[in-house]
Amino acid sequence: MPRKWGAALLAMTLAAATAACARPGPDPATATTSRGSITVWLSNNAAEVAWGTKMVDAWNRAHPRERIKVQQIPAGKTSEEALSASIIAGSSACLVFNTSPASVPQFQKQAGLVPLDDFPGAERYIRERTGPRADQYRSEDGHFRQLPWKSNPGMILYNKKIFRKAGLDPEHPKLATYRDFLDTSRKIVESGAAPAAIWPSAGSEFFQSWFDFYPSFIAESGGKPLVEDGRPQFDSPAGRRAATFWRTLYREKLVPQETFQGDAFGMGKSAMASGGPWAIVAYKHSIDWGVVPFPTSDGRPASRISTFSDEKSAAMFSACEHRATAWDVLKFATSRQQDGAFLAATGQMPMREDLAGTYPDWFAKNPAYTTYAEQADRTVEVPNVAGSIDVWQTFRDAWTRSVVFGRERPEAALRGASRDIASILAEY
Amino acid sequence: MSIPAIRATGDAPTPAPTGQRADTPTQRTRPRRKFPLPRPGALFVSPYALFLLVVFAVPLGYTLWISFHRFYFTAPGAEFDAPWVGLRNYQDVFSDPVVLRSFLNIAVFLAINVPLTVVLSLVLASALNAKLPMRSFFRAAYYVPYVTASVALVAVWQFLFGAEGLVNNLLGDLAPDPSWLVNPVLAMPVIAVFVAWKQLGFFVMVYLAALQSVSKELYESAALDGAGRVRSFLSVTVPGVRPATTLVAVYAIITGANLFSEPYLLTGGGGPDHASASPVLVMYQRGIEQGHPDFAAALGVVLVLFVVVLSLLARKLTEKEG
Amino acid sequence: MSRTPGAMTRLLGGRSARLLVLTLGAVAFLFPFLHMLVGSLQKTTTGDLNGAIPTPGTLTTDSYANINDTISLGRSLLNSGVVTIGVLLSTLVFGVLAGYALARLQFRGRGTLFAALLLVQTIPFQLLMLPLYVLVVRDYGLGDSYLGMMLPFAVNSTAVFLFRQFFLQIPGEIFEAARIDGAGELAVLWRVAVPMASPALLTGCLLTFIGPWNEFLWPFLVTKDADMQPLAVSLAGFMSNLQGTVDNPTGALMAGACVLAVPAVALFLLFQHRFTHTNIDSGVKG
Repeated sequence: MPRKWGAALLAMTLAAATAACARPGPDPATATTSRGSITVWLSNNAAEVAWGTKMVDAWNRAHPRERIKVQQIPAGKTSEEALSASIIAGSSACLVFNTSPASVPQFQKQAGLVPLDDFPGAERYIRERTGPRADQYRSEDGHFRQLPWKSNPGMILYNKKIFRKAGLDPEHPKLATYRDFLDTSRKIVESGAAPAAIWPSAGSEFFQSWFDFYPSFIAESGGKPLVEDGRPQFDSPAGRRAATFWRTLYREKLVPQETFQGDAFGMGKSAMASGGPWAIVAYKHSIDWGVVPFPTSDGRPASRISTFSDEKSAAMFSACEHRATAWDVLKFATSRQQDGAFLAATGQMPMREDLAGTYPDWFAKNPAYTTYAEQADRTVEVPNVAGSIDVWQTFRDAWTRSVVFGRERPEAALRGASRDIASILAEY
Repeated sequence: MSIPAIRATGDAPTPAPTGQRADTPTQRTRPRRKFPLPRPGALFVSPYALFLLVVFAVPLGYTLWISFHRFYFTAPGAEFDAPWVGLRNYQDVFSDPVVLRSFLNIAVFLAINVPLTVVLSLVLASALNAKLPMRSFFRAAYYVPYVTASVALVAVWQFLFGAEGLVNNLLGDLAPDPSWLVNPVLAMPVIAVFVAWKQLGFFVMVYLAALQSVSKELYESAALDGAGRVRSFLSVTVPGVRPATTLVAVYAIITGANLFSEPYLLTGGGGPDHASASPVLVMYQRGIEQGHPDFAAALGVVLVLFVVVLSLLARKLTEKEG
Repeated sequence: MSRTPGAMTRLLGGRSARLLVLTLGAVAFLFPFLHMLVGSLQKTTTGDLNGAIPTPGTLTTDSYANINDTISLGRSLLNSGVVTIGVLLSTLVFGVLAGYALARLQFRGRGTLFAALLLVQTIPFQLLMLPLYVLVVRDYGLGDSYLGMMLPFAVNSTAVFLFRQFFLQIPGEIFEAARIDGAGELAVLWRVAVPMASPALLTGCLLTFIGPWNEFLWPFLVTKDADMQPLAVSLAGFMSNLQGTVDNPTGALMAGACVLAVPAVALFLLFQHRFTHTNIDSGVKG
């Protein structure tokens, strides 16, 4: 028997060794100058797909030899997870118009992204289009592995019908200070106008903080990112005030601890939501809504409030074989004309300098977007640091434990998360 | 995925497996060395042997290798180093509060699931153990959840136990707050009850088979000794079906260690606040969602050791008098 | 079946007490299925008693149309079917070959292989999940393919064990007679052993069917292309992030759950009499 086991072990070791030789990916040297048909992935947002299909048609008419095939990002719990899986499988599209900057460091580590500054003139193109904000999107080694594409600055949307039902003035909602926001929320829930004042997900996915804590913290702190110069910033008076504000909402059951299956705001289950300009198109026919900035403790004016950008980038993936074509498509899709078409189709804000000045006619015709466009100039990004997913996950775990479920004091949770994140940052 | 083939009952029609018994007639009848090698036997098993090698041996070796290195998934053809880190990954696993919580959750799961399954399936099997009208209807009814996909059943349970579900509507003011699936105390028990419900039909059949082998004489002599109903149930039936009880316990441990779809779907990713996270869910979240397969591999090895130890313990406990 | 007047019998009292217990059990087991069916047919699916008792006039099949528009039921069912049938065929072919050889033929390594067969059934799948994922998806390039979904289940070891046990039971003289007639081993297996083994084959099929049809975790990991996902995976996808896209999402979910449940339940009911306790203990498999 021992001899048999020895043989089995040997076979296992040999097999594991052969398993280590992987299939090769495309050769970067030839791919960079290669031209041909490519695939482009878009998010499953209907308005974005409508724009993407038109953009691709326009390209294909002009370039019959370098045709684009357009598909939606594959299914997964999140598009980040689906993209990561496609990198490992070597099956990613050439270009993905929905890459979250928070996952760029991870994709980079997985050797999944093509540095865009490989292409002549790329650096200048990105900086001229986006302006100085573009520097937030450089990787730590200084390369651009993403082209900042569009943002959805987060603001508070509210449902005027529910406000009216709760006896509140829908045209002048009291939502600027924490105290006003809480009073308004209490009236909504106590009057039974809606079961929830606002209903962010109570889930522990790493990105959920982008829709509750992060915009609140950016507003309260006057525009601080989560991490700056390698140090966490949220264990501060501003961070504690923002966390305590949310804790009060949860403690008084103005925000439910159960995650709503579906769109709570869209179905009238919550009176408010945190949302970007995409919401204008989404709720055009269903809800009479208004929009205000995130509240702050001192109720400062809208012009001094910054928020989270919820930016999505376009990125080129290393499975791409015809990268010269892909780079041309990237420039074509982010040209002044296509950005204008994107803005008109989706209402989301292209990452272009002086947006309101570039498309004055459109904003004149669609005044609802002006509030967002003004906000778009004061946005803060997720930190572009290695281990950013771990950083966000650590933060989220502390948040759900303390603010959502009240098993720890928010102050202590923030301090603990700050310490843990500092050690994650030191480790990478 | 797999359950050890433990023989639960005494009245099985097949002879007990005894490893490699030399009772096959081929040895006697085959003309010596008539065929050149390889023999048909080796040919017949080679696809299966290859399958075991590719699907079990290689990944098993690979898991162990990953768990001792700093490893992450990369694009095909990408060069990367995976330095040897010794027991670092294991240290990380043991110092991770979510991992510890998930093992605690499994303990809660077992503490509820095993007694519930044993008692209910024994009661139902005993009730079924007679000539009765609609007997095959009952048997089929108990078996239906067992053959149905977890995903479909989880969907109904989520609806039943949701904040505005039927259960809360029937309970009215008695409904728990926060509701079942977001209640840190109740989320794991709901999962344990769900799994007991889903698997019960299978164990009813196991106990039904086991009851056939409890001899009538034992009951008669117990009655002669003046034992009451409860006494004779405890002193005759319970020891009589002990092998089946071992099976239930071992099976529950393996199911508990395998829990994934229930916490992933029923409680929205092990919520609330990891109160229903299972080790496999944590493996998925860390290994695949968050890109730390080295941590997840180490957790997998720990989990398997945990299962082996617990299964041996369960056999010891349930078989100590048998 | 012999009636054993056991202690439990007396504990439960007479026939009516037994029937009461059994009926309560049956209600507890079947009620969620009723809830699922009624919920899938309601216009607005609610969690009150209307969701349990069908009210004529409020019933509609809209939810089926909704779920079909969102996740393409036909395509998902086809994917589930291809994977399940593929696993069944490969288990039948390779499993019978291996089971027969393990029971009736001599070859080097037979003992080792049988030990491996038993060992494999104690290794939890999750330990193999990550390396299998990277091997199948990256190194073998089988992500989003039927082969990739089938691979870990291609030969059901419990079925192999079951086949071996069955072939051991057949009297050896039958095989000897065939061999004396000059039949090769493959012919002996095909003409003698397989026809006799049909009950074991059927049980093996039923045992094997449940696995790939209901499996969620593995196909969820290896399929990201919605057109390749089996129904369990696309339904779970609907549960976790598509519910906002339809009216009456709960109804649509219940409709999808019904479609997923029906084939396995129907198959089971059809062959119910095979699923008696005598078969279960020779092949324990979830």
